[in-house]
Amino acid sequence: MSRTEDGDEETTPDGASQTDAPPVEFEEGPDNRRGPDELTAVSSREEKADARKIVTGEAKYTADYAREFPDLAAAKVLRSTVANGVVTAIDTSAAEEMDGVYAVVTPDSPEVPNDPYTSAGQSYPEPSPYDLRVLRKRVRYVGDPIAAVAAEDVATASAAVQAIDVTYDERDAVFDAETAIEPDAPRIHDPERVENHQPGADYERNIEAHAEGEIGDVDGAFEAAADRSDLTVVETEWATPHQSHCVGEPHTTIARRDQDDRYHFITSTQVPYHARRQLARLFDVPIRDIRVTKPRIGGGFGGKQSIVLEPIALALTMATDRPVKLEATRKEEFHAMRVRRPASITVRSVVTDEGDLEAIDMSVLTNSGAYGSHGLTASGAIGKKQLALYTHTPNIRLEMTAAHTNLPVAGAMRGYGAPQGHFALEGHMDAVARELGMDPLEFRSRNVIGEGDLDVASSILKEGDGEIKGGARRVRSCGLPECIERGKAAIGWGDVEQPDAPHLHRGIGAALTIQSSGVPNDELGAAHIKMNEDGSFILQTGAVDIGTGADTAMAQIAAEILGARPEDILVQPSDTDVSPFDYGAYASSTTYVTGTAVKKAAQDAREQLFDFAARMLGEPRDTLTARDGAVYAERSGESVSLEAIGYESIYGDEERAQVMGEASHSTPESPPPFGAQFADVTVDERTGEFEVHDLVYAIDCGTVINPDLAEGQVTGAMHMSYELAVGSGFSFDDDGQPEVVGFGDYGIPKADTQPPLTPIFVETHEPSGPFGAKAVAEIPTNGVPPALSNAIRDAVGVRIDDLPITAEKIRAALDAE
Amino acid sequence: MDVELTLNGEDVTLTAAQSDTLLDALRGAGYTGTKRGCGTGDCGFCTVAVDGESVKSCLQPVARVEGATVETIENLGTQDELHPVQAAFVDNAALQCGFCIPGMIMRVTQLLESNPDPDEREIREALSGNICRCTGYEKIVDAVQDAATRLSNDGAVVSDGGRPVSSNRSCVDCGGCHGGDGE
Repeated sequence: MSRTEDGDEETTPDGASQTDAPPVEFEEGPDNRRGPDELTAVSSREEKADARKIVTGEAKYTADYAREFPDLAAAKVLRSTVANGVVTAIDTSAAEEMDGVYAVVTPDSPEVPNDPYTSAGQSYPEPSPYDLRVLRKRVRYVGDPIAAVAAEDVATASAAVQAIDVTYDERDAVFDAETAIEPDAPRIHDPERVENHQPGADYERNIEAHAEGEIGDVDGAFEAAADRSDLTVVETEWATPHQSHCVGEPHTTIARRDQDDRYHFITSTQVPYHARRQLARLFDVPIRDIRVTKPRIGGGFGGKQSIVLEPIALALTMATDRPVKLEATRKEEFHAMRVRRPASITVRSVVTDEGDLEAIDMSVLTNSGAYGSHGLTASGAIGKKQLALYTHTPNIRLEMTAAHTNLPVAGAMRGYGAPQGHFALEGHMDAVARELGMDPLEFRSRNVIGEGDLDVASSILKEGDGEIKGGARRVRSCGLPECIERGKAAIGWGDVEQPDAPHLHRGIGAALTIQSSGVPNDELGAAHIKMNEDGSFILQTGAVDIGTGADTAMAQIAAEILGARPEDILVQPSDTDVSPFDYGAYASSTTYVTGTAVKKAAQDAREQLFDFAARMLGEPRDTLTARDGAVYAERSGESVSLEAIGYESIYGDEERAQVMGEASHSTPESPPPFGAQFADVTVDERTGEFEVHDLVYAIDCGTVINPDLAEGQVTGAMHMSYELAVGSGFSFDDDGQPEVVGFGDYGIPKADTQPPLTPIFVETHEPSGPFGAKAVAEIPTNGVPPALSNAIRDAVGVRIDDLPITAEKIRAALDAE
Repeated sequence: MDVELTLNGEDVTLTAAQSDTLLDALRGAGYTGTKRGCGTGDCGFCTVAVDGESVKSCLQPVARVEGATVETIENLGTQDELHPVQAAFVDNAALQCGFCIPGMIMRVTQLLESNPDPDEREIREALSGNICRCTGYEKIVDAVQDAATRLSNDGAVVSDGGRPVSSNRSCVDCGGCHGGDGE
């Protein structure tokens, strides 16, 4: 499968020989057991640690803490009603005079910082511009926060917000990215007022970021194709819409000043430590004087990586000296939090008659909305994430631009650019295969990356002299061939029975998918584990379980090492005062990065267990193993229970030392999980209406730590992917007013409209991951749009290249034929 | 404003503002298992039972439940003794972030009372007003089918005279009796 094995020299993006490329061999630690025979806690369907408190309604999310603060104030935000303009006057007098109003803050209030920040919630230094102010007079979209109220209850705060009178000097606005980058478009940002400019930023043309990179000679490949009959050029264009995270629990934050005169947040965040750092900088408070506690989180999907409510709540806390709770409404969730960025993507390729890709040229333009968060990195990911699939293509070029408009702000969302990119690239590969008359999967298999290969395409983008993040990546585990075979068998590839009715046509489509396991060289996970005298353990990590079950997976990893049961590992929710550091829940990093830190911390603790056990058993420590709640001497068969060791370590007469393990993990590795998405659809050629019979996704995420949780990740992500394929997206009127402001307006698939979802796990062993695990959380969001578009092409011969796929578009395309 | 009602089997008086919804009043009184997701009746996270019917409490003015019998998630099982529907959700891993789950379970308990043996289509239609963003609904449908089996099995035990119908809280023992509300 690997074209590099044919003797081609491996090269870097700038053409140099890859003599220092990561080796194929990876030195695994002695504990990286594999297979069901060797694993006990890992790979079991362990009950989710918080399941019982969830089903009894006892799990506490941020809003449920409100009752703990009797003097709590409720907060509401006044948001801009114009898409572009300047607030010339804010009259708060009526609001301030209302009974029960504690404070009204505006951009002029002393508690409200005037320095810009970024809501991106990324690591330091952030690859996003500082272009946001906590409250704004210069408003850039319908939803920009202008003022905020703290009052005795929500009704009073809402009434007070209504009573604030705002005068605007309205300006011309621009809503689509193509127009926004024209020279005469309204200018949205003053570059002098933006800090931390990102590569390629050109605020005269509303460009937040721009980057490009090339491997080989793409122009040369297209010139050669023009002259040769054995080379084919295929060009396609694609468009994807806004998508909302639709988090169950709306963004909610409680801010308060504690008895130590520090600021304490209980907040629905995916990034407690990044939030702490950014809040400290913004409010000029020492980091040590801010504490961020993460309670149960009602879903994040990237939406709660953004730091949007915390600064407003803190300003109100400072203004009132009361605890303040700020909870987003569902309308605010849809237009004033963060969204998946729309993208327009062009793909051109050169392919030989035999089906070998000679060149891929990809161009991406995204709509960042009013402010820049994740513009550089998410837009870049639209290309480079899945170009890694076809890294053997000798000539690859990627160019990306993130443009500002007067629409809601794009941020991180599950998949992080890859869903948009997969729609384009996997739709394109289907078009190329059909152009050549090849089976779409055979064509892909001819070109796709495989085990042992070096991926250079994912590091194609450069910033100045260097790459943006990450270098060449060695693939040491790849179950893609088996994913394809098992997916084909499950969906009935090549074996479709056509409906009897002549106007109904059934088709099957496929798409390959890839993602990463964390951000290479840009993650840190840490863990601390301590033993109780009853043989149980308290595990502290900064890993942020936002509903995924990460806490349960961490307990399984620690239990596997310690010979304990997973329920004997108590995982503490992350709290910046207590937990070891963690970059947060994003980039599919938790199992791979923090999971490795947990494994190492457990190994550290086990060494201490063995010290005690060796003495208690009178056996050499190198013969000891931890299993079944005890430490065994393999030679004598004698054992001592973890409980006995726990008591001995704390109350023993000879030596007392609490068993406490700790470790950090940071890595340049980010092994890709792989998967193959299939869709089975019947289309009515008279109306364009279609029915999806099944969505099958075969995934290689390495070792599956917990099959129940992993299946839930896959089906949940496929649900989101299906929504991107067929959901309504967003719409706005001519003035930029959002028309989708609630679930009733938005096409979220419900129990009765969600087609069946079939996950298939193809287990591989990733040597660099904990017990062979790779990431699972994001990759299944990538495949449904291209697979469904390809299935419709298979069924009725038309290709829908702008999402969402609708009956009207299919009907129109059939009419145009 | 005081509103008197039977809440989870007890006569209680909720103190609320005139404009409060049942959701506001419940959460204000500490029944925080009932979640707020949208305020427009679209997500179903706030589903409770009012006089035996599933109601989205964010749409229900609290004044309207004067004298009514209201049941919330807090009235089902405990972590040690789960109600069969709760147990089915746990055992089928039919939950992730959990924010939709209390409302989902309240909807399912009412469904299985009115239709003890629903097929998949009936389950999916019954849950169409309860959004879940995490699961894709697959395991939730499995859990509902499993819960139906558990409840019918428990019913068989009771009809054999094996177990008494006792308190509101120990619904595992009560064989599908729903909060002692007169069945």
